[in-house]
Amino acid sequence: MRISRTTRAAISAAVLTALSVCLLLTAGALAGQARRIQTVVIDPGHGGIETGAKGRFGNLEKDITLSISLKLKALIEKNMGFEVVLTRDRDVDVSLENRSAAANNHKAGLFISIHANGAVQKKAAGSETFFLSLNATDEETRRLAYLENNSNDLQTHIDPSTDDDLMMILWDMAQTAYVKESSRLAEFVQIELDSMLGLRNRGIKQAPFKILRGVACPAILVEAAFLSNPDEEQKLASDAYQNRVAEAIYRGLARFLKLTE
Amino acid sequence: MAANKGKGVLSRPALVLGGLAFVLLVLVVIFFTGGVGEKVKRFVDANVPKSPETSGASAAAVKTVTLFFISDDDDALHKETREIAAGPTAADEAERALAELVRGSEKGFLSPLPPQTKVRQVFVAKDGLATVDFSRDIADKFAYGSSSELAAVYAVVDTLVYNFEAIKKVVILVEGSERDTLGGHVDLSRAFSPDYSLVAK
Repeated sequence: MRISRTTRAAISAAVLTALSVCLLLTAGALAGQARRIQTVVIDPGHGGIETGAKGRFGNLEKDITLSISLKLKALIEKNMGFEVVLTRDRDVDVSLENRSAAANNHKAGLFISIHANGAVQKKAAGSETFFLSLNATDEETRRLAYLENNSNDLQTHIDPSTDDDLMMILWDMAQTAYVKESSRLAEFVQIELDSMLGLRNRGIKQAPFKILRGVACPAILVEAAFLSNPDEEQKLASDAYQNRVAEAIYRGLARFLKLTE
Repeated sequence: MAANKGKGVLSRPALVLGGLAFVLLVLVVIFFTGGVGEKVKRFVDANVPKSPETSGASAAAVKTVTLFFISDDDDALHKETREIAAGPTAADEAERALAELVRGSEKGFLSPLPPQTKVRQVFVAKDGLATVDFSRDIADKFAYGSSSELAAVYAVVDTLVYNFEAIKKVVILVEGSERDTLGGHVDLSRAFSPDYSLVAK
């Protein structure tokens, strides 16, 4: 009895130590990994029957966003060593949840959603870059404080195969841990858009956009210009302007990476 | 002694009569005052049924609400006041305020919501959470961009929270069900707090 009790204690201690060492090693490895961005996910807004904003000359947001996204993908692949994943590469419907899930499943290091704006006012003009507004409940704010210091937990602790409420809650607030980095990324991209497009600079803004909420990495939503503004619609439809938008986002991205490395 | 006795005998029925008379008097007074009270009450009830304090000018009580519209000149939401019928509940008034928001501006502002939109129902819970159910037109009759979608959502949320003390946060439903977004941008799955930063100063 006495021997077996001691043995049991010894075995437990050994197992516990081994487990802790394993956990520490994994956490360390993941922390190291998280610093190095390997994949950039680009999200061409809308698609399929979901057209997004419409211009007076018939241009649709979904077509312009895909076109700019493909140009941005080419630029990043040519000049940076990242894998680029598109949430859609043709004119199809993809739900917002599937878009953020795609980003998380590909272990996205950065997420950029491309849009063209629409307003009721015909005169509304310019480019702007959004990151997520939190509008969090007290409970979420408490979790946020924890996650800000332990952002790797999101990726290590959520097993995508489980489909319970906890996982839903955690994914639903995945972006909260990255809001500071997202705001910095938005800032750099907006500076470049401002200098390259010659449009009114509407600055960086926060909004409760669905697409950004579930993404577990720094994430922004770029509004290249207003489709509802006839002048800007014609610009958005042109190849040259789309190239400039892609180039501006690419430069902003490069500035952000320089700062974080 | 006899005289005293006689006085005593005589005084007893007098006391009884006096007592009876007093009781009768009290009953009569109670009857009349009670009756007058009842009449006054009925008078008030019949003529100023809902709010006695506004009995002076108009028969129906009104409430002034502030609506939030779009201006063609800038990107902000602009306030416009409107009179709606008051009561009986905050939810009833909220429905009327939103119907006026959909109906549009009387001062030349632009409407943030498609004109076909119908307010199906507003429910206000005790904790201050208002649930607003719109007809599907709010999503189907306009191709929203980020700006117009933000304007539509916050025109609704700001209108409700600004005007009604009982409302602190707002959930938007479409045709009785939860929906991801109106047009692919703003997340409808959570309750909105008002955002007055979008409102013109």
